[in-house]
Amino acid sequence: MKNEELSMYHALNFHLSSTDLQFFIPHSSFLIQFPMLRHLFTLIWNRKRANLLLISEVFFSFVVLFGVGAVLITTAKNYLAPHGFNYEQVWRLEVRAGQNLKMPRAELDDVLRQVKALPGVRTVALTSGNTPFIFNTNNSVFEYQGKKSPQANVYDADDHYVEAMQPHLREGRWFAPADDGSNHRPVVISQDLRESLFGNGPALGKIFTWENPGKGASKPEDEFLVMGVVDPVRMESDFSAPIPSVWKRLIPYDTTHWETANVLVRVAPGSGGELQEKIARTVAGVTRQWTSQVRVMDDERLHRRRYTLVPVVGLCIMGLFLIINVALGLFGVLWYNISQRRAEIGLRRAMGATGAGIGWQFLGEMMVVTTFGVLLGMLLAAQFPLLNAFDLPAQPYLLAIAAAAGAVYAITALCAWQPSRLAARIHPAVALREE
Amino acid sequence: MSPETDLRQPVAAAPDRAAPVLRLRDIEKVYQTKTIETVALNSVNLTVNRGEFVSIMGPSGCGKSTLLSLMGLLDEPTSGTIEVDGRAVTSYSDKELAGLRNLKIGFVFQSYHLINDLSVVDNVELPLLYRPGMGGKERRQRALAALDKVGLNARTAHFPAQLSGGQRQRVAIARALAGGPEIILADEPTGNLDSVMGEEIIELLLELNREQGVTIVMVTHDLQQALKTQRVIRFFDGSQVG
Repeated sequence: MKNEELSMYHALNFHLSSTDLQFFIPHSSFLIQFPMLRHLFTLIWNRKRANLLLISEVFFSFVVLFGVGAVLITTAKNYLAPHGFNYEQVWRLEVRAGQNLKMPRAELDDVLRQVKALPGVRTVALTSGNTPFIFNTNNSVFEYQGKKSPQANVYDADDHYVEAMQPHLREGRWFAPADDGSNHRPVVISQDLRESLFGNGPALGKIFTWENPGKGASKPEDEFLVMGVVDPVRMESDFSAPIPSVWKRLIPYDTTHWETANVLVRVAPGSGGELQEKIARTVAGVTRQWTSQVRVMDDERLHRRRYTLVPVVGLCIMGLFLIINVALGLFGVLWYNISQRRAEIGLRRAMGATGAGIGWQFLGEMMVVTTFGVLLGMLLAAQFPLLNAFDLPAQPYLLAIAAAAGAVYAITALCAWQPSRLAARIHPAVALREE
Repeated sequence: MSPETDLRQPVAAAPDRAAPVLRLRDIEKVYQTKTIETVALNSVNLTVNRGEFVSIMGPSGCGKSTLLSLMGLLDEPTSGTIEVDGRAVTSYSDKELAGLRNLKIGFVFQSYHLINDLSVVDNVELPLLYRPGMGGKERRQRALAALDKVGLNARTAHFPAQLSGGQRQRVAIARALAGGPEIILADEPTGNLDSVMGEEIIELLLELNREQGVTIVMVTHDLQQALKTQRVIRFFDGSQVG
């Protein structure tokens, strides 16, 4: 007891006035102080078997919220990150020669030249079929002096790709006609691939290979000469994480084996259907055997976004239902708990607890039970960042742990609030008579 | 504080034994429902002096327990005034009444009202938890001293389920004593005990009254026990009849 309170206590001599009492018991009714908190921990610990169900419910709620939270945080973090290229005013022109039909280089060049000459077209670039936001990927693992990269996306790109997609160059340069004489395949890599292959060392001018080059390892086209490094890119969807990427210089010396050519067309702002029709007519004008299709990259992005969001929304709805179930369960258990402990409530009131103090005690007990469940959940959740699960960094997991803990405390506090208020209103004389 | 701690230590001055510690003036208690009105107490005037051991007798349903609830500030009268140490507590807030109960009144119940999930010593500490600023060490010392006084210092770590009825009631008395109360209100403290154990409990209460000067108001059905106290108040049908 503090000195001044002790003095007050001695001075009371059991002749207390109303004012004295207000001073003596300043806020015990409204705050759970340390001795009471310790008492609640003792009580919950001694009732651990009875509280096992509640603790389990809290534990599972925490785990579900942690899982949903980790997905949402990762998704949101990705969404907020830059794509690393500019998809606006970019169209994807798919030119098909038709099955078993040749696509001679001269005619393809003619198509590219004529499309580029159309008013409203800024540039055209040849690339591989795995253009951004479509369900087409091409990936591989690379190696530099025994150091392996993670799975990296591999794209083919011509010299005009940089103008069409506008990736941000951090080091070096994009491909140019001067690279025609290169002994190795010129490539541009993303920053994340650069870090995994070369660490902090220089990357420009370095040569790396496939992870398993096989017999053709010595072929110059399978040895990649780093010409430039661009920012990390997110080409899968708005919600995907950056994936290490390589752009190999596309040298279509002979395109006769091609059945399809993928052309990126950067257009002027405000270009629409009219230009799309012109492009289709232009392709048909070069050769009537070829067909073409023009798609707006931003539309493909939105389509992919909807597709990616469906499982995330489904997960959230499932999580929400589960949490509602848990909340209702907690609510019911707490009502029952209070009805079973009416005599104890009466006793505590007789011992000096106020109505509000009883309410806080029940709320506090629920918080202590929640703490046990959350601690168990944290023990499990901590394994995810420690084991680097799903190749995610630790930060989203840590944020998800904090968010799940906060949400579980909020849910249990909400569920406990009304039963605690009910407990606070129980008349002590009635409660004591009931047993 | 040693186990010999005087549980009444906070009282600095010697109590005036003749002064009324509890006074009930024109108390009426009516329980009202939608369809029925039950008069539990009617025009009760009662004074309990400091250091007295008073027993209240009467048939079941005569209002004894209601009277004890009012004395213990657990209930409010429909009309009339309750005075503690000469001060009317009618206008006291819930917080002030709780503080007064904690400091001045100890309760002993027929069914003990121990918390089964707390050890004996933790049960005895219970009223001290509601006394702000009291450290854990002091709480524990006072609880041990109270248990020593009722002869249960060897059972501090036991749980209520491990004790006999008489021992449980001793724990309840220790809990009432731990807070150093001026008044102990005992509601049929021997009602659940056999005659031997009941006798032990009455002797313990008499000793506390005699040696500690604790004012005791006891509700009982047992005339033999009542006759051992200084004054017997009889109730019938909500009114004091003797």
